[in-house]
Amino acid sequence: MQRLTHQLDGRPDRFGRFCKGLGIVGAVAALAAPALALAQSAAPPKRPNIVVILGDDMGFSDMGAFGGEINTPNLDSLAKEGVRFANFYTHASCSPTRSMFLSGVDTHLNGLGNMSEFTAPNQMGLDGYEGNLNDRVATLPQLLKDAGYHTYMVGKWHLGKEPNQIPAARGFERDFTLLDGMGSYWDDWNFSAANPRSLYTEDGRYLRSLPKDFYATKTYTDKLIGYIDANRGTGKPFFAFVSHQAPHEPYHLPKEWRSRHVGAYDKGWDALRQERLKRQIEMGIVPAGTELAERMWFVPDSTLLAPAARALMGKKMEIYAGMVENLDHHVGRLIDHLKKIGEYDNTIFIVFGDNGAEGNDLYELIAGSPGSRDFLFAAMHWSRNHPNAWGDPGSWLAYGPAWAQVSMTPFSQYKAWLAEGGIRNALIVSGPGVKRPAGSINTQGTMHVADIMPTLLEVAGTSYPKTYKGKDLPPALGKSWVPVLEGRAESPRTDQDVLAWEIFGNRAVRQGSWKLRWQWRPLGKGDWELFDLAADPGELKDLAAERPDKLKEMVALWDDYVRTNNVVLPNRSPHEALEKALPQRVPVQAGYPPLNLKRQYVPPKDMLAEPKP
Amino acid sequence: MNIVRGLMNPFAGLRSIALTLLVVGVLCPLQAMSQVPPRFYWKTLSGANAVPLIVTSMTGNTNPFDAAHTITPGAEFEGTLALAGYARTFTLFDRSAMAAVLLPMGRISGDVITPLGEPVSQSVSGFGDPTVEFNLNLIGPKPQKSIPDVLRYEPGFSLDVIADLAIPIGEYDSSQPLNVGQNRWYGRIGFPVVWQLGAWVPGRRTTLEFLPAVWLFGDNTDYVGKTLETDPLFQIDAHLTRDFTQHFWGSLDAAWYNGAEATVDGGKGEELDNYGFGLTLGYQINDNLGLTFSYKSTASDQAPDDLQLDVFMISLVSGWHPIIEGSKRLKGE
Repeated sequence: MQRLTHQLDGRPDRFGRFCKGLGIVGAVAALAAPALALAQSAAPPKRPNIVVILGDDMGFSDMGAFGGEINTPNLDSLAKEGVRFANFYTHASCSPTRSMFLSGVDTHLNGLGNMSEFTAPNQMGLDGYEGNLNDRVATLPQLLKDAGYHTYMVGKWHLGKEPNQIPAARGFERDFTLLDGMGSYWDDWNFSAANPRSLYTEDGRYLRSLPKDFYATKTYTDKLIGYIDANRGTGKPFFAFVSHQAPHEPYHLPKEWRSRHVGAYDKGWDALRQERLKRQIEMGIVPAGTELAERMWFVPDSTLLAPAARALMGKKMEIYAGMVENLDHHVGRLIDHLKKIGEYDNTIFIVFGDNGAEGNDLYELIAGSPGSRDFLFAAMHWSRNHPNAWGDPGSWLAYGPAWAQVSMTPFSQYKAWLAEGGIRNALIVSGPGVKRPAGSINTQGTMHVADIMPTLLEVAGTSYPKTYKGKDLPPALGKSWVPVLEGRAESPRTDQDVLAWEIFGNRAVRQGSWKLRWQWRPLGKGDWELFDLAADPGELKDLAAERPDKLKEMVALWDDYVRTNNVVLPNRSPHEALEKALPQRVPVQAGYPPLNLKRQYVPPKDMLAEPKP
Repeated sequence: MNIVRGLMNPFAGLRSIALTLLVVGVLCPLQAMSQVPPRFYWKTLSGANAVPLIVTSMTGNTNPFDAAHTITPGAEFEGTLALAGYARTFTLFDRSAMAAVLLPMGRISGDVITPLGEPVSQSVSGFGDPTVEFNLNLIGPKPQKSIPDVLRYEPGFSLDVIADLAIPIGEYDSSQPLNVGQNRWYGRIGFPVVWQLGAWVPGRRTTLEFLPAVWLFGDNTDYVGKTLETDPLFQIDAHLTRDFTQHFWGSLDAAWYNGAEATVDGGKGEELDNYGFGLTLGYQINDNLGLTFSYKSTASDQAPDDLQLDVFMISLVSGWHPIIEGSKRLKGE
């Protein structure tokens, strides 16, 4: 100590100089530490990138992670690292779902009160029924861009084609977009004589032609990777809306993806639904005891089909499966690229399908009747329909209601309808912010596509504003998933919260496990039906007559929804004449009629005899 | 609602697709000119049947009933040849197989040179030597045992083995050199190759087909009182076929003949080393009937001892299968 004192007294030697140096460093460090800590706490945490992957018409049970036999390792890997939600709702068709995802607002307020293709006469000109995402809503990319995100979009838009309606005008910095709701994957042929060409934009400019070697799913992925790489140096996170066209019809698919499951679906839809349900129960996607929804009454028992019919119908599903696998492949390319550039671990992925699987056949709409204008158009551009041509340019393939019900296992019906098969879809969320056990499945949370807006705004450190650019915004419909993703809650909603839908005149309300439904005949009853989804997810048992009290309560919720959300029921509907077009609806029960199910009776051998002379 | 109209009958069109595929392969005829037409070795549903009716009109310096193409220098024959037959497809050793029998008939006339060197004008007619053919696929798609197999058939690269045998029971007059029957056993061993190029979609199918084969001939011990011996004939047929529409197709045909040196009582004739070219047009009239038209002509055939042959051929082939016929009955067609 003395020596040390001595040194401090101004007689520095070598050791003294060292200690003096230490002291200075220590003092500086002591002074600097709090400042550094302060600085660190003041710096905004690194915000995650966001990738929203949408599979167009992809069904609830198509991904392996939701019980499908289709090979989807990349999508499944996101599920394995993140969380799956089995109680997620979209709308029953594509543009309404996209409008709610991008605006967070009910369709009857955001411009998609009806699809532009089916706007009813009494809805024409009304606010909320513009048929495109209207200018009274702010969009998720606009708000994220304002919050410091790069915003990219690739794929299908279907929310407006005019310059003030395209992705570049609605908040996307970079885009490569199909503006139409559907079209060829190989070129820009669209589906009707009146609208023969699909319209694409790239970075806000309408494209005269498509890139060489265009194939939608591949090109969209290539473009997005390019956008991500181009802005890597800015230090800003990005939001990417990967709005895949796949697996929407027409099923256009590179040849090498078409023959991976030859004969695998000859077993038929009934067997496949059973297999998927079994896996779903084993995985915990649906509870044990779940019953399959009724097969559509006009779809035959697949076991009664001739081998040729099974093979031909099976081939449709083979190619659909290829579409989903090809989609997964390109998702894998995106994942691999993000890993390669070190962004994967800081990226939130949200994966879902935009509505129920497509059980309708748009080709019938396109081809029309011989002698019609669209028939001639289809003859020229969409008639390559030999099974060996399925997937080629000029072919049109859709798998129809039987396989759509498989894709929506275990639910009832499909796209364009408000049965669970029309609006329930698979949801995967993974990445930073997901603190639930990796690979877990949430069946309790009632999730809605409009929730994505508040969820991602919260992730980005901002919130849904009351006004945007001087205009009052409609109220946000959704609720943030952040507490659920962090494991602090099981659902963003209480049992008292209400969700409601209306499209083409079909209506539905969900509160807790109760669901009220009105649908056009014959898929509905043209009257209210009531289901308890907790006990009956397949909507097999209409409880309207048994529970008039609950029915009345739910109808009141519907009336309230109509009042507060600008709902104008259409006076025309694409479903209006369906009852006369389809066979009379009868209950479908396994084994009935036994007539042609009865096996040959084999008598006891010891009672066999030859005829007597 | 239009968009669900298709749900009413999700299987519409299935049968016609199956029918179309059924008859494609089996309707192409075997012919007795030792040239196999294009698309003959495409495969179809096991158990299918076909009856070809073929009419050929030819001129040249060889007897069209003679698979050896024995040249008669300076001769000019004109002939009309008709063929009727029956073919059936089946499965053998889990491979596609086919058996066929063909009976040639017709008339031929022209000036011939007798073995004594004398020109003689002849005209003959009658039934020729019936031919049986057996075909077995060695490499290629599995046999089509059901309509689903038909739907999934694509030849890819397929290799068959064929064996033909002509039975010498046709009309033969040993006193004259020109006959419809050949009065000797003869046959062929060959290895047909079908090589699919591109998509296998009706309207767009393209194939490259080869048939390397060797013809073997027995001796005719009563050839105008002499013995006719013929060396083996090596022959390669080649076809580049292409659909124009779903039902209309065409083919560029070529053939090379080498060998078949004929010896009459020790006197040697000329050895063949000739090319022939032609084209074929095919049209499928309906589910059961196919029509083809072809023309073939030898090339570089100015010398008297060159093979000279030009042939017009029209074939009408009817095909059927019990499943398809039953389906049509149920539909009231």
